[in-house]
Amino acid sequence: MELMYRRSLGPVVGAFLTGLRDQRLLASRTTEGRVICPALEYDPESGDAVETELVEVGPGGTVTGWSWVQEPLRKHPSDRPFAWALVRLDGADTSLLHALAVDGPESVQTGMRVVPRWADERTGHITDLAHFVPEEA
Amino acid sequence: MTDTADTTEGPVRFMPQLIGLDYTIRTNPVAAAFGAALAEGHITGHRCPSCQRVYSPPKGYCPICCVATGADDLVEVADRGLITSWTVLTPIQYAGQKEREDYALASILLDGADGTIGQQRLVEVPLDEIRMGLRVEAVWAPPGEREGDDRGYGLGTAVSGWRPTGEPDAPPSAYQDHTL
Amino acid sequence: MRDVAIVSFATSGSLPAVEDTETQMLFPVISEAIERSGIPRADIGFTCSGSADYLAGTPFAFVGNLEAVGAWPPISESHVDMDGAWALYEAWVRLQHGDVDVALAFSSGISSRSDLREVLCLQNDPYYVMPLWADHGSLAGLQARAAADAGLIPEADASVGTPPASDGAAAVILVAGDRAREVCERPAWIRGIEHRTDPHYLGVRDLTEVPSAEAAGLGDAPVEVAQLSAAHPHEEVLLRRALGLGDEVEVHTGADPLMVSGLVHIGEAFRQINENGRRRTVGHASSGACLQQNLVCVLEGDA
Repeated sequence: MELMYRRSLGPVVGAFLTGLRDQRLLASRTTEGRVICPALEYDPESGDAVETELVEVGPGGTVTGWSWVQEPLRKHPSDRPFAWALVRLDGADTSLLHALAVDGPESVQTGMRVVPRWADERTGHITDLAHFVPEEA
Repeated sequence: MTDTADTTEGPVRFMPQLIGLDYTIRTNPVAAAFGAALAEGHITGHRCPSCQRVYSPPKGYCPICCVATGADDLVEVADRGLITSWTVLTPIQYAGQKEREDYALASILLDGADGTIGQQRLVEVPLDEIRMGLRVEAVWAPPGEREGDDRGYGLGTAVSGWRPTGEPDAPPSAYQDHTL
Repeated sequence: MRDVAIVSFATSGSLPAVEDTETQMLFPVISEAIERSGIPRADIGFTCSGSADYLAGTPFAFVGNLEAVGAWPPISESHVDMDGAWALYEAWVRLQHGDVDVALAFSSGISSRSDLREVLCLQNDPYYVMPLWADHGSLAGLQARAAADAGLIPEADASVGTPPASDGAAAVILVAGDRAREVCERPAWIRGIEHRTDPHYLGVRDLTEVPSAEAAGLGDAPVEVAQLSAAHPHEEVLLRRALGLGDEVEVHTGADPLMVSGLVHIGEAFRQINENGRRRTVGHASSGACLQQNLVCVLEGDA
């Protein structure tokens, strides 16, 4: 079963994905000042709309959680073993889920520093960010 | 999706997303038996032991009485019957469309069955001569070319169409309770 | 509030890849639940089902499933794209209106037709998570890691695999008021039922907690048996904490089959009262990645 969607993005998600195309990591701010990356349209706590302007965060960040993938599935963002990571980018209060390219599970720890690697071709898609890598790499 | 590919400048407003999922459908035993009989040139059904209604294709139960049916309730129905309703389709030429000309699909009440079999193709009849009550018979595919429907909903490729028999039309009383 | 009780429960159990259609698989389960209730099928005033067409791989599969209920003469029915526990919840709500006394809630799932590691991706954030095709085992692993980092589980339980994916169906009959006692010697009264949900995007959640389960809660009196929709050891640990379950509570876990296990847990909580003479039990259902949504159903037997 194949379904082709063309999803409208709106001003918040659209701005975030536009940022990825331009190699920028953006976040939304709640009225309480909480910085959410990736940008969500509404404050998860209060349901209020976020501020209209997004703020820049990163590029580096800290791993707040992870899980190891020894045998990637066909649609995973990597065809070699990798880690899923929750990354709290510098300046953000929440974490972003993405792939972390490391050689083995012994190379991942909660708290480690990572930086993004960008895809060569970017269209405004979460995969414009190809994956994270350890900061010292 | 070329209109979303122009995203090198200006805000990105759309995201294409292709979702492709693979499913394996296994043929249930009731449908498998139905398909095997079709390959031999027989259209079968199950008769409910409670209300005596005959369902073709069989379901493995009577949905009115909520009674299970099985091989013990097997009956054969005729490969001829009457049209209870029909539609003429003008095929829209979307990518992948195989039909080119107008064609008709009908619901057919087979002799011996209590429910219609739907989406059956009508052949060898001008589209403006199709009518409720028209008596039709199956045009069987050659033996060896009769593949059952993997879910048992229809006749698969066993019957390639239905053509008029030439018999007098069935009266309204024969189809008026089956027009859906 | 009307008192509503579960008076019967039936399930196929976890089945390996079935050949039957979903409707054929449901047929004997619904019939058994109705027979066990002692109530004629025609007395059912409302029916609610839980299933997912994306699991069946068939649009409107849930409509065809009504043939297993008997939809002639026409019946009043509804459907939720959720585990049958939510169908039970809707049926409970419907019975509160007061005009019908008997409801049937059922659910089914044939997971064997597809790879759940891909199908379940459809429940994730469509912009930020779905395109990464992060499978449910990987996402559960994130919560396991969080629990290990917080010292809540041993390191050995931090690595989780893909949970089992069986086929199956379940059904219950609910009855409001005194009629429940007329048809059932020991009905299980629904004393509390609640569904809460945590935020959708994983990165805004503290995965060491399950606030929605805590918010749904158990009330003040102790429970003897808890049936939890936990697929992994860490989920049991987190749910026990969120629900305040001490070591003295008998806990049973499992989250398989998909779309059915939550209703089965509530059904087993019913059986603990109905067959094992327990006084107060709880059935729990969950939906979404990392226990995002939680439904808690507290049952009590008459003293």
